[in-house]
Amino acid sequence: MIRWFLRGVSHRRLTTRFPRSPEPAPAGFRARAVLDPEAASLDSARCAEVCLPGALSVDRDRLRLDAGRCIGCGLCVEACGDGSVAIDPGYELAATSRSRLMVGEDAREADIVPSALGPAFRRSMHIRHVDAGSDGAVEQEIAALLGPYYDMQRLGLFFTASPRHADVLLVTGPVTGPMEQPLRRAYEAMPEPRVVIAAGTDACSGSIWTEPEVRGGVDRVLPVDVYIPGDPPSPIALLHGLLLAAGRVPEAAPPRRPRVAEDVAHTPVGGSR
Amino acid sequence: MIGLEERTCRSTDLAAELERVGGRLMLLFVTAADPGRELCAIVRVGDRTLRVRAPLAGRSYPAVTPRVPAAHWFEREIHDLWGNVPEGHPRLEPLVRHAPEQGELALPANGEMSAEHRGAERLSGPGVFVFPYGPVRSGVFEAAQFLVQTGGEDVAYCAQRLFFKRRGAERRICEVPRELAVLVAERVSGTSSVAHALAFSHAVEALSETDVPPRAQAIRRILAELERMYNHVEVAVRECEDASLAVAQAQFAALKERLHRLAGEIVGNRFLRGAVVPGGVRIDVDPGTASATSDALREWERDYRRVLSVLLQTDSFLDRLVSAGPLSAHDARDFACVGPVARGSGIDLDTRREEPYDGYGEFPVARHADGDAMARMEVRFQEIDSSLELIRAALGSLVGGPVRRPVGRFIREEALGAAESARGETLYWLEAGDGDTLRRCKLRAASFVNYGIFNRVFDAQVLTDFSFIEHSLGLSPAGCDG
Repeated sequence: MIRWFLRGVSHRRLTTRFPRSPEPAPAGFRARAVLDPEAASLDSARCAEVCLPGALSVDRDRLRLDAGRCIGCGLCVEACGDGSVAIDPGYELAATSRSRLMVGEDAREADIVPSALGPAFRRSMHIRHVDAGSDGAVEQEIAALLGPYYDMQRLGLFFTASPRHADVLLVTGPVTGPMEQPLRRAYEAMPEPRVVIAAGTDACSGSIWTEPEVRGGVDRVLPVDVYIPGDPPSPIALLHGLLLAAGRVPEAAPPRRPRVAEDVAHTPVGGSR
Repeated sequence: MIGLEERTCRSTDLAAELERVGGRLMLLFVTAADPGRELCAIVRVGDRTLRVRAPLAGRSYPAVTPRVPAAHWFEREIHDLWGNVPEGHPRLEPLVRHAPEQGELALPANGEMSAEHRGAERLSGPGVFVFPYGPVRSGVFEAAQFLVQTGGEDVAYCAQRLFFKRRGAERRICEVPRELAVLVAERVSGTSSVAHALAFSHAVEALSETDVPPRAQAIRRILAELERMYNHVEVAVRECEDASLAVAQAQFAALKERLHRLAGEIVGNRFLRGAVVPGGVRIDVDPGTASATSDALREWERDYRRVLSVLLQTDSFLDRLVSAGPLSAHDARDFACVGPVARGSGIDLDTRREEPYDGYGEFPVARHADGDAMARMEVRFQEIDSSLELIRAALGSLVGGPVRRPVGRFIREEALGAAESARGETLYWLEAGDGDTLRRCKLRAASFVNYGIFNRVFDAQVLTDFSFIEHSLGLSPAGCDG
């Protein structure tokens, strides 16, 4: 045991300073698509065709983007080829409404919403996680929040075994049929005020999964307060979403791509650095 | 490409035929050829892979399970999804589909399994109770349910209930455009994205007879081994957590995080998604990335060895794992286990060597004879060593040339694709339909077969070892459920 003690105290600090200082994602990180609807060429149908979860769609000849459905595959960047769509490497992607995650003609942009929990929970929130049919990767990213790099307890965020002690229900997965009832029961066991977070693109919208096996997102079953898109959301993205639920950080900007000069519009996708 | 030797028999003779050929039952499923629906079994015998076809005469057929126990979940799945009745199956309860009348606390009947394969007996009497654990479990876990029958400390009987997470991946793969289907395969088991994408791509490449360029093969090996490493380290994190070794847990978690960051830098996704596609890969590894990866792994290996050497001298860790959750080679063989679970029970089995793909050459297959949780752990530690070696070799063999070839029309009607994930053999059976579509996909993750023995490793075990045993199997409910 003394060897573990010495190893523990001799190790340098690994923990991120987020949110006090920002934590940038690596350059080629594929977090979500961003859209410049004005730059889209006439053939936007081809662009939307390659989008498996339907994040990109065409509405009255205009491209629309729903980042709550985006899995960051980047196929659209190649298919569009006009620089209207790019993949954004950001980590801070959570929003308090689905419309905030959209860009398109009738997208409403929400204002910053204060936490439904009220100010009393700013420095201490207890979280109950429920898996409603995830692919298993997001659970590992959530578990990483307890690890040395992210250490969410320094921010007053704790996991709890019982929904009776929980302020936050952190739901992963698109909600499969057999998990609907257990999910509702966990929610009903929670004391008020309570907050529901949909973690991951599949929890936000169902992503690539469809009826009849899945319900198509947590908000089909429960009222969702915070959406954290990502496939899977990175630990910083999860921290951002949790702090957003506590009313401690601003929500993400809509996935609108700033206008870019012609020559840099065709950035390659993926890791070729 | 996996060459299949074809056999045909009547469905009434299937059980006898499978018992006669012996070997390891990889798959048993119903093909799409309807009418004239047929059962199809894929069996590995020695160094050959057999495909046994058995046209179904009516709705029912004599069950295979009484003679070949490895068929037990496959036949229940066929019954749930296709309605064909395996007559004489010892436990024909819903498996894949959750029946509403099946109460939450219902303990499955023991059925008529032969004494050899029955496992622990159910008990009755004062003080004996069933402890249902899940699907919402304490901590951050995937949804699965375990019904533990106990008198307090000894586990008398443990039944596993899965398929809470079934998302219909097989259906989705056939529905979506052919070139997008790999995105579905990547998301079946999110921690084995590369292995699932590889197994699916191998099947598509076999259907269309597409060759993968050597550079793409080398990149695929790098990604597949990186994935194996972070999954194996994850098991170490969980086992250290169970043993309350906080420092060891934190340091293995840090090692795991470094691998995910490396993955994010190479591919742009921390779980290596969006890289493997039929015909090759979508990314390239330029010389700068290759040398940065090589440097990062050298440092990683140094730190990993330091933590591991202390762990392997920590009695409080070893005491909990040694002799916990024993799986005999006999059971592992009978139930056709795969991956580190099989290799930890002395079974010499690895897809990378049985059906070599993507340029895997000779490498030592890790094995351990003890069959307990520690043996499975040691197999994983040895595999981390061989993964580091394989990545180094692949980084050195990044020859020039393209990383992707276009996938042409489907030339063959059906194909089997396989890949060795961190959890074991991953299989995709695909049948081509009209106009280059897929009309049938049967996928089988390693966890589907390894979950089948979950109740067996609790023979004479105690409740406090539950999490050690569970984590030593390293299972993925998402992969199992599909």
